[in-house]
Amino acid sequence: MTSTTRWAILFLAAPLALFVGAVAIPTVMALQLSFTDATLLGDAANWIGLENFRDAFSDEHVRKSIRITLLWTLGGFLIPPALGLGVATMLQNNSRFAVIMKSALFVPIVMSLVVVGQVWIWIYEPGDGLLNRILGGVGLGGLEQAWLANRSTAFYAVFIAWAWQQTVLAMILYLAGLATIPTALIEAAQTDGAGRFQVFRQVTVPLLRPVTTVVLSLIAINSLRNFDLVYAMTRGGPVRETETMPILVYRVLFREFERGRASAISIILFAMTLVIIGGLTWWGRRRSHAV
Amino acid sequence: MPSEVASPGAGVVKAEPADPSPGPEPVAPDRERGSLLRRRAGPIALVIFVVVFLIPVIGVLLTSLKTNAEIARRGIWSATGNLTIDNYLDVWRNANTGRYLINSLQVTGPAVAISIIGGTLIGYTVAKLRIRGSGFILLVVLSGLFVPPQVLLVPLFTIFGDLGLLDTLWPMIIVHSAVGLSITSLVMRNFFDQIPDSLRSAARIDGANEGQVLVKVMLPLARPAIAALATLQFTFIWNDFLYPLVFTTDDDVRTIMLGLLAAQGQFTVAFGNQAALAVIASIPTVLVFLAFQRHFIRGLLAGAIKG
Repeated sequence: MTSTTRWAILFLAAPLALFVGAVAIPTVMALQLSFTDATLLGDAANWIGLENFRDAFSDEHVRKSIRITLLWTLGGFLIPPALGLGVATMLQNNSRFAVIMKSALFVPIVMSLVVVGQVWIWIYEPGDGLLNRILGGVGLGGLEQAWLANRSTAFYAVFIAWAWQQTVLAMILYLAGLATIPTALIEAAQTDGAGRFQVFRQVTVPLLRPVTTVVLSLIAINSLRNFDLVYAMTRGGPVRETETMPILVYRVLFREFERGRASAISIILFAMTLVIIGGLTWWGRRRSHAV
Repeated sequence: MPSEVASPGAGVVKAEPADPSPGPEPVAPDRERGSLLRRRAGPIALVIFVVVFLIPVIGVLLTSLKTNAEIARRGIWSATGNLTIDNYLDVWRNANTGRYLINSLQVTGPAVAISIIGGTLIGYTVAKLRIRGSGFILLVVLSGLFVPPQVLLVPLFTIFGDLGLLDTLWPMIIVHSAVGLSITSLVMRNFFDQIPDSLRSAARIDGANEGQVLVKVMLPLARPAIAALATLQFTFIWNDFLYPLVFTTDDDVRTIMLGLLAAQGQFTVAFGNQAALAVIASIPTVLVFLAFQRHFIRGLLAGAIKG
């Protein structure tokens, strides 16, 4: 063994042991558990093959949760990137003024989702929440309601609070992306007679495509992990209308005490993550070759 | 498409990708002749947008400074005259706030340090020592980026239970340290990839062993990458509440985010106090962010690109 190899082993031993022990092995155990009827109550677990998965796909709550999670991800793909890019183009200069505005706008990204959830609960309060106050103020009092308790509005209400924070993430990444676009390119297009919007659509947006792939990947991961905000705002309610997959796993594990089923659902979520991220990576590569 | 564009901030070494080069001056000559109002319209619209966008932030701040009596009488969102810091004093004296903050620090500090030290070791070994199996090791560690926390929760809850570690701070320290290795290894690998091999060989010829090369030659160079990861990991771990929610029930081992969540559930805790606690809980991350904004953004970018 060369001395380099010995050093490599020395460097890797502790961190890899930590990773294998706390991430890799538990992941394999979760996969194993998903084929059993294990519970949290300590009964002996039996191997039941794919039954948890079959049950999951025929269970209306699981199916609904998958729909909610996918709808959430889709909304995440559409709204925060569009808003974030829009704001980023407005802030794209380095005047003192723009720098101060940027710092202020960035703050939500470091706020905990518990805090974000709390203030948005106040915005949606049925009694004197900000939203109802505004609606009342502009003569739309008829629309006032308990946004988080109403089955048809709860999903959108929580989603908007989440999209608010994700917009900042998209904005930060797009600002960095815009900075890499050579101004000469933009000027050349303008000299050729392209209008502002044309330049934006036909030069800026295509050049930002790699950044867009990154933005979409991060948003996909965040929306597929969406536990914190939903837990803080609705716990998945009303009547499971905001029950994302992570919330469902938590519920099955700690309210229904079914470790096997909880594992199976978490593995389905893992598979969804891999498919979506894989798809995005493929899309990003394909597009960047095409340009 | 050129790869420099493909991965903004691919290298944490590259000079500030977050700082846009001065763009074209937006004010065209013919516009300069326009009225003052017209020239100011853009910035004014921007200020209005920023204020509206930050209403949730402003809302928490203002609520934390209102008396609970006033909130009860006129609502959370009323414009108010008298501001007071009573809520902060109240929260500090009556809740377990100090304990929560210390717990959060005791989780965040070690977990940030361990994940960065571990990621530096893995990233450096994979990028520069290139032993057989490096690619596989990196693949395994990076795959952690895509494992939902819920996958880990199910087995870990039982494991930590068997080890008697529930209701201590250990589960959070261990899990955050381990989960963090994925992002720290990725960023450090990308960083060390850009350091020329000649630097290492030169130091080796001068008689330094691999350990000395890493500590004396490489670490000083890696300071920007480490700073970026530190701010990112600090924010992420400080703000987390999933793991403490699952692994603890005792009030004495609650982190600040869990304490805040618990306060929200109690109807006896007035809005003003909740807001004050929320502000206290947010101060560390906001301060770290304002102080190290560039590092934070570099960290986001460096972690964002594919390995």
